[in-house]
Amino acid sequence: MANAKTPIIEVRNLVKKFGDFTAVDGVSFAVEEGEIFGILGPNGAGKTTTLEIIETLQKQTDGQILVDGVDTLVHPWEVKSRIGVQLQSSNFYPQLTLVELLNMFGAMYDVQVDPMAMLKKVQLEDKAKSFVDKLSGGQKQRFSIVSTLVNNPRVIFLDEPTTGLDPQARINLWEMIEAIKKSGTTLVLTTHYMDEAEKLCDRLAIMDHGRIVKIGTPKKLIDELLKTGFKKEVRPQPATLEDVFIHLTGRHLRDE
Amino acid sequence: MSKQYHKPGQWKAYLRIAWYAFRAQTRNPATFAFGFIFPIAFISIFGLIGNNPERVTIGIPKAQPKTIVEQTLLKLDFITIQSGSKTDLYNSLRTGKLGGIIEVTQTGENAYQATLLTSSANPVQTSEVKGVVQGVIDKANLGLSGITTPPINLTQKEVAGHPYRYIDFAVPGQIGFALLSTAIMGTVFGLIYLKKALILKRMFATPTKALTILLAQGTSRLIMGLIQTVLILGVAVLLFHFYLPHGWITFIDLMLVSSFGLISFLGFGYFIAGRVNDENAASPLTNIITLPQFLLSGVFFSTDSLPSWVQPLANNLPLSYFNHAVRMIATEGAPLTATFPYLFGLAIWGTVMYLLAARTFKWQ
Repeated sequence: MANAKTPIIEVRNLVKKFGDFTAVDGVSFAVEEGEIFGILGPNGAGKTTTLEIIETLQKQTDGQILVDGVDTLVHPWEVKSRIGVQLQSSNFYPQLTLVELLNMFGAMYDVQVDPMAMLKKVQLEDKAKSFVDKLSGGQKQRFSIVSTLVNNPRVIFLDEPTTGLDPQARINLWEMIEAIKKSGTTLVLTTHYMDEAEKLCDRLAIMDHGRIVKIGTPKKLIDELLKTGFKKEVRPQPATLEDVFIHLTGRHLRDE
Repeated sequence: MSKQYHKPGQWKAYLRIAWYAFRAQTRNPATFAFGFIFPIAFISIFGLIGNNPERVTIGIPKAQPKTIVEQTLLKLDFITIQSGSKTDLYNSLRTGKLGGIIEVTQTGENAYQATLLTSSANPVQTSEVKGVVQGVIDKANLGLSGITTPPINLTQKEVAGHPYRYIDFAVPGQIGFALLSTAIMGTVFGLIYLKKALILKRMFATPTKALTILLAQGTSRLIMGLIQTVLILGVAVLLFHFYLPHGWITFIDLMLVSSFGLISFLGFGYFIAGRVNDENAASPLTNIITLPQFLLSGVFFSTDSLPSWVQPLANNLPLSYFNHAVRMIATEGAPLTATFPYLFGLAIWGTVMYLLAARTFKWQ
């Protein structure tokens, strides 16, 4: 773990108990600045709880977290103003337009925003006066992600950003996530899709039963598995069904 | 680390959330149904009741020859004469449609026997009919006796005053009804929706404090409630000649009392919304708190007509305090200071509810 850069997030021995149930059981990891860090794991593994504790939405039972060098328990307000948060479902006032929502979030972070410029970044400028409920799944997720950028955060957290999207919308969202990474923002995301994790994430943590089972780059995790003598029955497959689908229906985004 | 930790400002967030929460309410059909259409429909109905003075209907059998009694009765504009067969008239009397039936038979030259039939089916009209018929017969007797200048002459003079109609009772009650609905139902179902849809949680991920968010929500309902008061008063004054004793001063006093009442009622909304997390659990709790007040606080009828054992409860409900204060100002023309005891009662209810809410509020 000899890394020259200081980590943007440091999680040390994080524990979260709900009564007798231990949801997060001694988790430690660090996220480097500028990377996309993925947390994988089956439902109930403790991914969302871990994220929400880092986001200061829940308090840990034990352990310490530093975000951009700030202790989440000591200065939660400082942490909140340095991060962007997307929750699992879209969670916006149904009776407010996209522009109004961005203006409201701007005020909540005490920053000036240019809603039209932000919407343009995610090709939603012609939906400026729409309500969130009138957007397609992909549009909702794009809006949801752009709303996390209101305060120019150092890190953004995306909880299952591509769940329920069609392949075109997923590819579009991946491009958006990579563009955010290029602009220098660190991303932490959870996903159930292994192809997504492999393609997007610089490093991964695999969680199960509230513990981190393994951390590493996708390549390192695969190499380690191969070293144990693991052999997958290899059938040469120059294309996948997804390639067929995208070839037939194109990469361009579908929004009704 | 040389980074400056600054406490995020709350005012801008407070004002902006209040404004957008208000916008969201104006786009919600439920706001208009409970806050505007219901109270105005009620007022319109009550206004129409108030505009028709009670008429008295007297039946006279068809076969009967015209007498001076009938002629005099016809001259009175608040009396409706209904003629018909005896059987029909008797049936109408028994079902309360007639105030009375008057039968007059001639028993000799210039001698008549008049019989007034009344029924317990319509006690209100009965007493009025008795008075009217007695008066008419006395007058006819004087005429028949040839007395044109009776020893005692009665002249009636009217002192200018404001007639107290049902609408004068109904309007303050409807203001209370609308404000309690907005403050409690709006807050409860509004906040539970924000909790369930994780909208509150998303807001809590920002540096704006939870209390700021809640107060801004409350402020948006306060503004909505005041607009309701203005609209209800406007409709009442313009369409139904509801009378404000001191004009603008009365109006301003009413707005102050409404603000005070709303802030107190909001405490109940926060209390319920903080305890439960879904609409199904909220409904019974909301009904337990609002329904008794709608019935017992003098919204539709005066608490004076309630049995004495209910009165101590009925008179101390928050909506009763509010309605009393509004009626003192709007119908009695009392100064704002005279309502302080009631406002004090509202303040106690409000304080208790805010304290309970603060202790039991669950964010998710």
